[in-house]
Amino acid sequence: MDFIPHDEDTIKEMLETIGVNSLEELFNDIPKDLMVEKLNLPEGLSEPDLQKYIEKLARKNKVYSYSFLGAGCYYHYIPSLVDFVASRSEFYTSYTPYQAEISQGFLQAMFEYQSIISRLTGMDVANASMYDGSTALAEASTMAALITRKKKILILEGVHPEYIEVVKTYCWAQKISIKIVKEEELLNNLDDSVAAVLIQSPNFFGEIEDLESISRDIKNKAPNCLIIHSMTDPTCLGITNPPGSYDVDIFVAEGQSFGNPPSFGGPGLGIFTVKEKFMRKIPGRLVGQTKEINGDKVGYILTLQAREQHIRREKASSNICTNQALCALMALTYLVSLGETGLREVAIQNFQKADYTKKKLAELPGYKILNKKPTYNEFLLECPNLDTFIEECKKFNLLPPLKISKYYPNLPNVALVCVTELNSRDSIELLIKAAKNANKLETGEKK
Amino acid sequence: MKFCEVPLIFEKKVEKQQKNFVPKLDIDVIKIEEIIPQKFIRKEIPIPDIPEVEVVRHFIQLSQMNFGVDNGFYPLGSCTMKYNPKINEKLARLPGFTNIHPLQDENLGCLELMANLIKYLKEITGMNAFTLQPAAGAHGELTGLLIMRKYFETQNLDKNKIIVPDSAHGTNPASARMAGFSTIELQSDENGEVPLDQLEFAMEEGDVAGIMLTNPNTLGLFERKVKEITKIVHENGGLCYYDGANLNPTLGICKPKDMGFDIVHLNLHKTFSTPHGGGGPGAGPIGVSENLAEYLPVPRIMTLNDEIKIITKGDNSIGRIKAFWGNFGVLIRAYAYILALGGEGLKKVAQISVLNANYLRTQLKNLFYLPYDRICKHEFVLSDKNLPNDVNTEDVAKRILDFGCHAPTIYFPLIVSGALMIEPTETESKEKLDNFIEILRKIKEEAENSPEILKTAPHNTPIGRLDAVLAARKPILKK
Repeated sequence: MDFIPHDEDTIKEMLETIGVNSLEELFNDIPKDLMVEKLNLPEGLSEPDLQKYIEKLARKNKVYSYSFLGAGCYYHYIPSLVDFVASRSEFYTSYTPYQAEISQGFLQAMFEYQSIISRLTGMDVANASMYDGSTALAEASTMAALITRKKKILILEGVHPEYIEVVKTYCWAQKISIKIVKEEELLNNLDDSVAAVLIQSPNFFGEIEDLESISRDIKNKAPNCLIIHSMTDPTCLGITNPPGSYDVDIFVAEGQSFGNPPSFGGPGLGIFTVKEKFMRKIPGRLVGQTKEINGDKVGYILTLQAREQHIRREKASSNICTNQALCALMALTYLVSLGETGLREVAIQNFQKADYTKKKLAELPGYKILNKKPTYNEFLLECPNLDTFIEECKKFNLLPPLKISKYYPNLPNVALVCVTELNSRDSIELLIKAAKNANKLETGEKK
Repeated sequence: MKFCEVPLIFEKKVEKQQKNFVPKLDIDVIKIEEIIPQKFIRKEIPIPDIPEVEVVRHFIQLSQMNFGVDNGFYPLGSCTMKYNPKINEKLARLPGFTNIHPLQDENLGCLELMANLIKYLKEITGMNAFTLQPAAGAHGELTGLLIMRKYFETQNLDKNKIIVPDSAHGTNPASARMAGFSTIELQSDENGEVPLDQLEFAMEEGDVAGIMLTNPNTLGLFERKVKEITKIVHENGGLCYYDGANLNPTLGICKPKDMGFDIVHLNLHKTFSTPHGGGGPGAGPIGVSENLAEYLPVPRIMTLNDEIKIITKGDNSIGRIKAFWGNFGVLIRAYAYILALGGEGLKKVAQISVLNANYLRTQLKNLFYLPYDRICKHEFVLSDKNLPNDVNTEDVAKRILDFGCHAPTIYFPLIVSGALMIEPTETESKEKLDNFIEILRKIKEEAENSPEILKTAPHNTPIGRLDAVLAARKPILKK
């Protein structure tokens, strides 16, 4: 199957117009010894055969009834209208809106996205998206180094381990050093040589940091040090204080939770916001409001492009060109579908259901909650027999929590449990039952 | 396209009603103040509550003010705006993919898909190993350059410069800076190609890590001396990076590996038909030659004796460049596309994309100045140089919009003054191409007889020409 409209006669006619005898002749400029005979690929498939084949692949993955897994990728309800909007051809088959006059739809949507992210986060300026939360955090780090002309980044323990890896990769190339510090060591490590402190809250362990006091302490000790706040599930902003209400310079987040499915971890959405004074340093596209040259109509256009690679080349603030615009459109659709009432309700339910689960699990003999601070929809659970617990979850068709030893080998028996608004009471009861069973089996084995 | 002025979503009437998108709470109510300290709780969220039907109408109205490939001809050079097969949209939405968590165990379907895609991309490019992690072309460039940096670092060689031709995409020098390199710009010769003597001269400086090259280049011309270019770079201890933005016309024709490249990035959203999504998401896989495989980011998916292996650590790996696996949803579509076309189909893609471009080139050169006049590949570049009455490229581009077409890429590449970069792609019919030629013929006539129409264009779009200067001088970035 191909998607080429010409038949043989048309091809012949076009070749004649060009003045060549064959399609092959169009490739005469390529050195002969570079030409390949044919590609060793399977024969093309018809649409029904293709569908059958791919469906078979999809069935090799397991779709669970309920999930207790988060750790940077979350199951939240996606209103049907989100995919309906994103499936509009006019949106998804367009590209970066260079021609503003026939791209007003997407440009206005991006302006609304920037606005709604500003409103939700309390930050002054949001760009039109980065690849994901991890690269947004990495670019925030290199941006901070560029602004402060300093080459040292402190990372407060609790940033997503994969995000730290990405930050490391980006910083290594630009000779920026990074150091991971515990909260009690933070101030001792802080001095005028530090470009920025990276803080995730709620952190990887689910805990909400007291950003107001941490940011105050940081700015007191090192007034020029930037504070970068990162988040992996921003649905909590439906109830918790916006980062803009603290002394945060850059706020970044993974926006997947806003209307984008897990999809094996991508595409996601990098949310990137800054305080006003860094507006001209922000990476990525920005959409601005303007007017017609010969009229009064208000319209939208890509702006402040002097920051960008296609104008500034090696002096650009970032190399980003293609972004995650469609994911941003889905996030916008999600946020306006829920509105203030819905967003608040989602956040409250995540708090409530996770808290409920936490308390129930803590009552079980052998199980212990390790968090000392308030948590959002994730928490750390020490288990008597984690592997059995995970197998028991699978038996009940529950996607099990994360074995945190994947990232922290020194915590062999600890699970990172995620509970969202999608977890019904029944699913939570099943999780408790799985935990009980695991413990029973454990004691049984010992006998 | 229908015109309707759409007020911002924030101007809609607010109805404080219960939302349908949150399940009914089925556990005992716990007060939020009992879970988190009062001081963590926000008072308000300035996001309006709008009835569902009004939300839908808002976005449908916005979509009617937007132009995509499904609306009409979209000859945006270097972006390969080909038709996006609808079956791929359906397949990417299978719950067996969308509901899969990146950290879950039972993921064989995803891994197999990625391992197979890697196998096919290796065959198409000739490269020996791939990563699918990069989220876009520029992200792939950064990854590839970091591999270069690591490669020299492990050999204790201090190489800090990258050669980039002046016809290169802006992302090339920008990526080089992000990877810690400075750039040496190479001036193209009178044929629009890389001049070998200048290349040799630049390489002899000694601290050059390598070259980034697009082939066919951004003029749409195949670098005929590509093998000499890569040879010179290799002989001087450098590596060769292939910018895959223009891979479309080489599918099944020739391979970057055979041209002498060590690192290749692909834009799955261009060559492999995944939708551009209004600017993204894309995917920018990186392929490397055998000796660079150990530098690829982790985790790496490999097939050994028909078994899929995940490599999570490597002493020489550059590390991670993105959380999780990559833009998996995009990979599904690209994979389905390759399966649909097969080897023969992909070769036909290359042939017809070149046929379509040359068909336009041979006729449009009678209307507009064509600075490099020879057989092109998937695209070609016109100039506004000979247009009468001070009509410029922007005027032409804006006027094209009036005829229900997207404009070409304009003012790029920088080496052509007033560039109009035209890439028709293989999925456009002769009828559409003829129509485009007619449009440009009319515009040429208008340039001669009634230039005012062009200077004030567009006229038939939802809004007139917008003031870019005003937008940048007094930035309004939110409401």
